[in-house]
Amino acid sequence: MEWRHRHLFDLDDWSREDIETVLRVSDEIGRALESGGKGLPSVKGKTMVNFFLESSTRTRVSFEIAAKLLGIGVINWATASSSMAVKGESLKDTLWTLESMGVDAIVIRSSWVGAPQYLARKLKRVRVINAGDGSHAHPTQALLDIYTLWKTFGGLDRKKVLIAGDIVQSRVARSNIIGFRRMGAEVIISGPRNMVPLQYDFFGVRYEPDLPKAVEEADVIYLLRIQKERWNSNVIPSDYEYHLRFGCTEDLLKRAKPGAVVMHPGPINRGVEIASSVADSDQSLILDQVRSGVLVRAALLYLYLGGEG
Amino acid sequence: MILLKGVKVFNGESLLKGTFDILIEGKRVRSIAPTGSLTIGEGVRVFNLDGKIACPGFIDIHVHLREPGGEWREDIESGALAAAYGGFATVVAMPNTNPPIDSPELVRFVRLSGERVKGARVLPAGSVSKGREGKELTEIFRMVKEGAVLFTEDGSPTVRTDLLRSAMLYTKDLGVRIMEHPEDPYLSESIQINEGRVSTLYGLKGMPPSSELIDVERCIILSKELDAPIHITHVSTKEAIKAIRRAKEEGVKVTCDVTPHHLTLDEGKIPESGFDPVYKVRPPLRTEEDIEALWNAIADGVVDAIATDHAPYHLEEKDLPFEEASFGIASLECAVAVVLDAWRKRERLIPLERLLKLFTSGPSKILPEGYRDLGYLKEGGVANITVIDLDRVSKVDVSSWKSKARLTPWNGLSLRGWPVLAVVEGVVFE
Repeated sequence: MEWRHRHLFDLDDWSREDIETVLRVSDEIGRALESGGKGLPSVKGKTMVNFFLESSTRTRVSFEIAAKLLGIGVINWATASSSMAVKGESLKDTLWTLESMGVDAIVIRSSWVGAPQYLARKLKRVRVINAGDGSHAHPTQALLDIYTLWKTFGGLDRKKVLIAGDIVQSRVARSNIIGFRRMGAEVIISGPRNMVPLQYDFFGVRYEPDLPKAVEEADVIYLLRIQKERWNSNVIPSDYEYHLRFGCTEDLLKRAKPGAVVMHPGPINRGVEIASSVADSDQSLILDQVRSGVLVRAALLYLYLGGEG
Repeated sequence: MILLKGVKVFNGESLLKGTFDILIEGKRVRSIAPTGSLTIGEGVRVFNLDGKIACPGFIDIHVHLREPGGEWREDIESGALAAAYGGFATVVAMPNTNPPIDSPELVRFVRLSGERVKGARVLPAGSVSKGREGKELTEIFRMVKEGAVLFTEDGSPTVRTDLLRSAMLYTKDLGVRIMEHPEDPYLSESIQINEGRVSTLYGLKGMPPSSELIDVERCIILSKELDAPIHITHVSTKEAIKAIRRAKEEGVKVTCDVTPHHLTLDEGKIPESGFDPVYKVRPPLRTEEDIEALWNAIADGVVDAIATDHAPYHLEEKDLPFEEASFGIASLECAVAVVLDAWRKRERLIPLERLLKLFTSGPSKILPEGYRDLGYLKEGGVANITVIDLDRVSKVDVSSWKSKARLTPWNGLSLRGWPVLAVVEGVVFE
């Protein structure tokens, strides 16, 4: 199978066909797993490094499980005890060291926009997969979200997806806006005006400041956490005030269309952007997203590391 | 004795008609005469410069020479030489060194260091506040006596308005002015790039144009109120240049400079290049609209000078992921070419004389009265001359630079229009 991308930075240069290929392969892997692992593709003799310079639960473990399903060797980069952290070794020396040891892929998460591109500039033989770079992009999240909705609705064409919350700081919002729109959905954004980029027009989305109004139109209600760790000034006065204005409560959900679903990339802050009861309800796809994540990441590793079959 | 033969002459005000020979004796310009009319004795070093343009030695009022405290990036020796090879006869060294140039002793250090090295003449600038802490005024008078030619907190804005106001008043009668790096300190915290299309699409924190505008307007208000001059450096936005234009029309004593990079590079380069930190600079690269506004301001005489804001770094400080890399573009040895090359597209809008003033008489007017002559080329004046060849085409090659910097956004680019010779107090650099 010819996979035309060398690295995975973001979905902006992906065609709809590229996305559909990933959906198809993810689905095949899902079905292979259901039948006890028969027919799972194998990517023999390859090694991948989970190079996580920023905290993560879902993404890192998801990549590790995905890799192991395909027989790929996984190294989990131990950030705190690395020579980089303790002995002043530079990032590029670290990368060249890993490359010389023969790793095939580096899955990188960092708080710096453009870190995956930097890695790709420095490395000749290693594939770089972006697991989230600062507030820029999180393409594997977007792909697993698309897969989840594809399995739920059969497709995204003409669906209305509402993304609500801390959009300015959200790499999930950015990649999902690109991905959902490429698959034919209309995206509406909502949230406090100071959490939405001043010039959101560049995204090609509609902004609806009135969350209940936006909820009424939406097929998908996609919620985002407030990324306090990225803000350096006071943007909302309190979690409670945020919850009152933009929290997805049971009452709010009652105003949605029948069949509307609730999604969240995780981690969730219960009681802030999402009420506990909503997170745990039947309309919530949150755990389906997590399940999809393993399949989609396995599909990507298969495509990027050149498996056959 | 040195003879520059067959040149056109731009004297700081206008391009003279005809071609000339310029005879230099020691540190002075002995004669400027119609070509062939001088009788030359033996032992004169002759440069045949057919059709090239001799100008007053270019002046760059904003360079970072990193000494003391940052010598791995640049020092006064490498910086002065780089400037001369870049076509500059005079540079003003910014004071945000380590320690900062905040005392008469340190001004003297910079001045004496400059006198000991070959290259452009280095004029020291002093900081406005002690330690650049923004609280106490430096001993401005004593520093002026040691040779400081302007005062600035550059690298940062002058945060406390009361300090800025006090400094503007204090320097009013000392013949030196304050240079402001225009930013609102809180709107610019942790920024990486311009706030606009690129910051929206790529999630990098942006500096809004209002940040620059707010400080520019603050400076204009104070300048008006105090009837004191103020110089605004590296103006980068259309909003700020518009405010300066309006203030000048009202007769406010505000002057400004722009950098070669803000005249030629837009923010689109950042995502296009895969977030290459060679484009990371402060103030950040802006939009094409801002670039056009700056060129229009040059055409209308609103811009007083071009200053490079030469910001050299060690490779390891720039060769990092974008957000980790240092801010700054090094350009002394290609700046003139960058500007001349870009001017070509706007030749009809901007007469050459207007452009050349930005390197000569324009910046000389920002310096104290006693340095005014540096902006003019005349008989009897100091032999600071920059000869440019508008048609010469050459590639920018950092590996040949005298500067310690090994990174510049224009590396490898072919540019048209280069300085071919600089004379600094009678010493020639080719």
